[in-house]
Amino acid sequence: MDLTVEKLAKMIDHTVLKPETTKAKIKQLCDEATIYDFAAVCINPVHAEYAAELLKDTSVKVCVVVGFPLGATTPEVKACETTNVVGAGAHEVDMVINVGALRDENYDLVTRDIESVIGASGDAHVKVILETGYLKDDQKVKACLICKEAGADFVKTSTGFGPMGATPHDVRLMRETVGPLMGVKAAGGIRSFKDAIRLIDAGADRLGTSAGVAIVEDFRWVQYSDSWMAPDKPCWTCPSRMANMAKQPKEVYTWYKERCLTCPDKEHNVFND
Amino acid sequence: MSKSTLYADTPILHVSLSDKSIRREPLPPDLYRQYLGGRGLGVKLLFDNLAPGTDALSPANLLVFAVGPSTATSVPTAGRFVVITKSPTTGTIFDSHAGGYFGAQLRRAGFAAVVLHGKSDTPVYLWINDDQVEIRDASKIWGKDTYATTDAILEETDSKAQVACIGPAGENLGLMAAIMTDKHRAAGRGGVGAVMGSKNLKAIVARGTGEVGAHDPERLKTAVERSRRLIKKNAVTNKSLPVYGTPVLLSVANELGMLPTNNFQEGTFNDAEGVSGEKLLERFSAGTYHCHGCPIGCGRVSQIQGRKVGGPEYESIWALGPQCGINDLEWIAIANDRCNLLGMDTISVGSTIGAAMELVEKGKLDAPLKFGDTTGVLDIIDDMAHMRGIGAEMSEGSKRLAERYGAPELAMQVKGLEIPAYDPRGAQGHALGYATSNRGGCHLRSYLIGPEVLGSPVLVDRDRPDGKADLVMLYQDLSAAMDCMVVCRFTNFAWTADDYAEMLSAGTGFELSGHDLLRIGERVYNLERLFNLREGFTAKDDTLPPRFFKPLPEGGSRNRVVHLDEMLSEYYKLRGWDKEGRPTKDTLKKLDIPVS
Repeated sequence: MDLTVEKLAKMIDHTVLKPETTKAKIKQLCDEATIYDFAAVCINPVHAEYAAELLKDTSVKVCVVVGFPLGATTPEVKACETTNVVGAGAHEVDMVINVGALRDENYDLVTRDIESVIGASGDAHVKVILETGYLKDDQKVKACLICKEAGADFVKTSTGFGPMGATPHDVRLMRETVGPLMGVKAAGGIRSFKDAIRLIDAGADRLGTSAGVAIVEDFRWVQYSDSWMAPDKPCWTCPSRMANMAKQPKEVYTWYKERCLTCPDKEHNVFND
Repeated sequence: MSKSTLYADTPILHVSLSDKSIRREPLPPDLYRQYLGGRGLGVKLLFDNLAPGTDALSPANLLVFAVGPSTATSVPTAGRFVVITKSPTTGTIFDSHAGGYFGAQLRRAGFAAVVLHGKSDTPVYLWINDDQVEIRDASKIWGKDTYATTDAILEETDSKAQVACIGPAGENLGLMAAIMTDKHRAAGRGGVGAVMGSKNLKAIVARGTGEVGAHDPERLKTAVERSRRLIKKNAVTNKSLPVYGTPVLLSVANELGMLPTNNFQEGTFNDAEGVSGEKLLERFSAGTYHCHGCPIGCGRVSQIQGRKVGGPEYESIWALGPQCGINDLEWIAIANDRCNLLGMDTISVGSTIGAAMELVEKGKLDAPLKFGDTTGVLDIIDDMAHMRGIGAEMSEGSKRLAERYGAPELAMQVKGLEIPAYDPRGAQGHALGYATSNRGGCHLRSYLIGPEVLGSPVLVDRDRPDGKADLVMLYQDLSAAMDCMVVCRFTNFAWTADDYAEMLSAGTGFELSGHDLLRIGERVYNLERLFNLREGFTAKDDTLPPRFFKPLPEGGSRNRVVHLDEMLSEYYKLRGWDKEGRPTKDTLKKLDIPVS
């Protein structure tokens, strides 16, 4: 796509989800989102009303997370939370999928969980966070299909609190699975315009990041050189490089690492680059 | 008194030290539009007025102190000054920069630049008190160190003035003599202090009370507010540099196997933690130092043996530390302070000591020097400044020293200037930047450590040679443009070319885009290249010491070599230079540089 600074900004959910976030930080977030005309601010429920008030005369949406960051509450609690945040002014709801139920193949519960949020969301769009770092590729595909079937508006890669951020591999897989009409949001670990462009190229149409200002500002460098986007070592963006035994279930970690054995780029898998 | 407030209306001050005449000339409009000011102004003056082959230490050499169109305005970091001359160290055109507060005073006094001609028959200093300019006797302060000189001159003139001066190293024409300001800020590189010493000029003192205006104050205010916000949003300019200063780089460079150790024989220093930015903060920090108008404050102030000293900065820690195998941070801070006191470039001092240590190690030189051993090194530094014994030989820099002892390959230099604190084997683009720098081994002509190591603005693969010529050229041109504005290099972490251009346009009324600004930088870079070619430099000088074509044995950059030839041919092509590294007629025409 012919990406401009403005188009890039309009793909970004300007995000602050840290527990220590103050009202001053929310004010700054909303001010920046207004200046740069980001798609939305992505915040915790406690700040929804304040952000909605600050952004009421702008085109910037209020996106609020639900069941965050673990996704391990009940469908009823997620629905209640959704009702609450939508009532407070949220235009978008980013819910965390029931990761454990998905891994248990308890797809009824996963579906009911998502449907309960959609049912409580009114006109708000619902994005479902898969937390891909806990999943193998077949599980990611299954999760995408459930989300699509349930009527969610977006699938989203990660919370930013889990074992892995967004990777082009996952975004590509998710886009291929959900097709062109559903949204794919990449989130977690997006720090530079190069990260952003790679994920957009892989199929993302929304980016969740706390580095939105830097990404948009630095994107202005693109006009001065083509070399920023020169290929890097393939392992740099591969989820297998990011796999972490301390944070992932053993079989998931092992699955990621076993991919390296048959990877055509495995000679690049060194740790001093 | 009335003063011109816009840079375009600000005169150049010409001072003949030979006959003590002083004259003011208007800033030529064409020169201003094509070269802006600062580095560009000085380079153009040198190119037009210095005969090829001029001895850099002869009266015929010119010494230019310049500020830029942003100096002393509200543009962040714009209180610096640049010294441009033909370097006695490299024989190239040379620009050397310093922070502090001198530049702002010079600009407020109403001058765009001071051009020093000839040579005084006795030691003098120049006192610029707004538009009153006076050449004063300096015989009583000749011989004093830079701290005593600064104090004595301020007592004689005005305590609110700012001093740029030389110490014993400059007086004795040492080839690593710096010009010091505010005691510990240095226009350090290239022996510019020796050029000052060769003119019997001990110092320039400036006191300015004039207002510096802007073409469109409201537009400038908006642009400056935005630029300050970007600095506050950037992790490097708002966190790393304010908290740790430049020494934050030490651990990073070491982790990547790029921290030159024992004269670049290794890229990893075992005691890196002990000389890191974190350790400096923990053990010796006594505050930070902000140059004029700087919201970053990367400067360090350390408490050493009961007194406060400036620094040490990253390059100084490296040069006087790992480069010499030395792991005593307190000693490094003392040695750094000694260099400031004597008016010497810490990079070249440390690197030359490291080269001497390797010469000793290899049995080429008999001197009391050994990697890792500080014994006697402070005395050697004193001897380098005062031209005594082996110190006199070392004061000429590592290239001449290593040649003298039959091992030129042990000097880690380009065009006679010692390479700074990043092993080029660990970052291909940075290596190309060293090789093609117009002033020799320098990390600041094209700081590709930003993208190749720090990920600013994005991380690029440090091992790939392809695409690096393009980035080196971009950074060289941008750096040259920033040096014409005379703003700090660190703003580059937060600002794009568009931001500089907007502030410049608002301040001057000279409407520029980011691309226009880069074109000015490109023009400066090509004119410098022409100057060097005229002095006899060729493509063969665009190279690196042979060490960098052999792999590092271990560490984060192990098995890497520099792929220079591949990058260099691409670089020449992109620059519009022929295979001999000469700008083609088409290139010069494109840049409005008259073809001779």
